[in-house]
Amino acid sequence: MTPLLEIKNVSRYFGGLHAVEDFSGQVQRGERVGLIGPNGAGKTTLFNLITCFTPLSAGSVFFDDKDISSLKAYQVARLGIARTFQNLRVMPNLSVFDNVSIGALGALGHSPFSALLHHRNYAKDISRRTWDALEQAGLQGQASEVAANLSYGKRKYLEIARALALSPRLLILDEPAAGLNDTETAQLGEFVMKLSKEGLSILLVEHDMNFVMTLCERIMVMASGRKIADGTPQEISNDPVVLEAYLGSEEEEAA
Amino acid sequence: MRRIISVSLLLAAVLIVVPGILTLVGGGYWFRVMTTIGVFSILTMSANLITGTTGLMSLGHAGFYGIGAYATALLSTKFGWPFYLTLPVSGAITAAFGILLALPTMRLIGIYFAVATLGLGEIIHVTLLNWVDFTRGPMGISAIPGVTLPGVFTASDTTHYYAVAITALIAAFVLGRLTHSYYGNALRAVREDDQCAASMGLNVVGLKIQSFAFACFFAGVAGGLWAHTTGYISPGDFRFSESILILAMMVVGGLGSLPGAVLGAVILLGLPEFLRPIGDYRMIVVGAVMFFSILFLPRGLLGETPVLTVVRRQFGLAWDAKSNLGWRQ
Ligand SMILES: Nc1ncnc2c1ncn2[C@@H]1O[C@H](COP(=O)(O)OP(=O)(O)OP(=O)(O)O)[C@@H](O)[C@H]1O
Ligand SMILES: [Mg+2]
Repeated sequence: MTPLLEIKNVSRYFGGLHAVEDFSGQVQRGERVGLIGPNGAGKTTLFNLITCFTPLSAGSVFFDDKDISSLKAYQVARLGIARTFQNLRVMPNLSVFDNVSIGALGALGHSPFSALLHHRNYAKDISRRTWDALEQAGLQGQASEVAANLSYGKRKYLEIARALALSPRLLILDEPAAGLNDTETAQLGEFVMKLSKEGLSILLVEHDMNFVMTLCERIMVMASGRKIADGTPQEISNDPVVLEAYLGSEEEEAA
Repeated sequence: MRRIISVSLLLAAVLIVVPGILTLVGGGYWFRVMTTIGVFSILTMSANLITGTTGLMSLGHAGFYGIGAYATALLSTKFGWPFYLTLPVSGAITAAFGILLALPTMRLIGIYFAVATLGLGEIIHVTLLNWVDFTRGPMGISAIPGVTLPGVFTASDTTHYYAVAITALIAAFVLGRLTHSYYGNALRAVREDDQCAASMGLNVVGLKIQSFAFACFFAGVAGGLWAHTTGYISPGDFRFSESILILAMMVVGGLGSLPGAVLGAVILLGLPEFLRPIGDYRMIVVGAVMFFSILFLPRGLLGETPVLTVVRRQFGLAWDAKSNLGWRQ
């Protein structure tokens, strides 16, 4: 079977800076893949390229055998790639329910005329999807709260719930555990595992090595925009190239 | 049930109580004041769709108001069209102009969009002023027929009040459904974080154009009502200062809040009338009301978040009256 996501020789330049250079990689159906690398390696940029959030400089991305390189971000989302953001982008003035309904609206489409005519079935579908996503993320109790009033940890779940309301096939998480304590991180790991067991493919960036190593079946390592390793957690943790990349970046930081 | 009561109360207030009071206090003049407030309520409710709900600060709304007014004035004076044709057609013409003019600005955000729409408003104003063959320039267009239906009713201050009131109710109904439904959530998502909204599958440019189209439609209808009810229009009615007035009404009432838009229009136009006995000081009072309401209630007198909940509950726009959030299947 072909991979769910196929990244082919993708590059992104910001002026002279090669944020992502000639990156290739895959996510198989149902797989949990981790993407790791030092700060500034280009991980977030790669996610932005996959979701067509930023345009590619070179290369192409295939999702479910379809070339998505030239699509718009909302079209990619509708095809089934949902994401969260490194710097938490919930809509603070909207209620939790309304936040999550955004994902459902993305999946089912939004027409002013269905609003004018008060299409009941459409509204029911949006509600059902929103409730399902809220329940999956354990947020049904806070549905009517304004998002800004949620704790940081809960807002992370809110962002994931919103992505789940899209009913994606691939979920992309950018540093989901950042800012969480150990207990919360462990809970999040279980939650992602549960989603994966339900058939969702996962691609995530995380600096918490323990989290990535226990959760992911395969890990891609990135440094200075390039892929330097790709393998099981076992293989990656024993790879001298990977160790050097991390140590190298630490030396630079120290300097 | 709750919905029927709310709708009945609203209709009774607008169609019976207010005109009743106006008649008691002397009719005529007060009906004209209320007609102006009604026209500006429609303008503010519609501008609120773009600026309050979708989050695009528009400073050119008076321009679209002007297009609608001139469309109606010309259609009724040159071709003798009755109000029930001029109003919707003027709305459609204005919406078409709105879409055409707005298309190039759709990629702009924040202050850039505001300045671009300010420019659009000025272009429209200057065009009305200088295209003398078509608009009669600064002389304006006079002798625009009022709202009449031969054999049924004739133009009068009362008729005009009812024409504006009923149109405002229709506008409130349409804009209310757009903003209090799930579709409204999509518009608010564009306002809160357009890039994130796009990543969640929302067609951001489409939503912006749609809100512009609906807002311009009602701005055009408001212009048409202005033309019919005053009988005379000139480019001076549709200047930048009107756009600013609309913006002020919106902010005082509460950005993104439909009842707030109406309240803003009532306060900023009604207050100067009430305070007429104190002469020129009254504008100081109006300014102070604006200043302090923003200072103490920056989200407006009727802020969006609580009003959304209340209106959804009272008018059955929520999908589940109990939780006010959505059907549980
Ligand atoms: N919009 C942009 N314009 C210019 N440079 C950018 C832009 N976005 C990212 N970069 C640069 O590209 C490089 C890669 O950034 P990116 O955010 O992808 O790294 P990252 O691997 O996600 O890092 P971190 O672990 O800190 O999140 C960095 O040097 C960054 O400064
Ligand atoms: Mg990053």
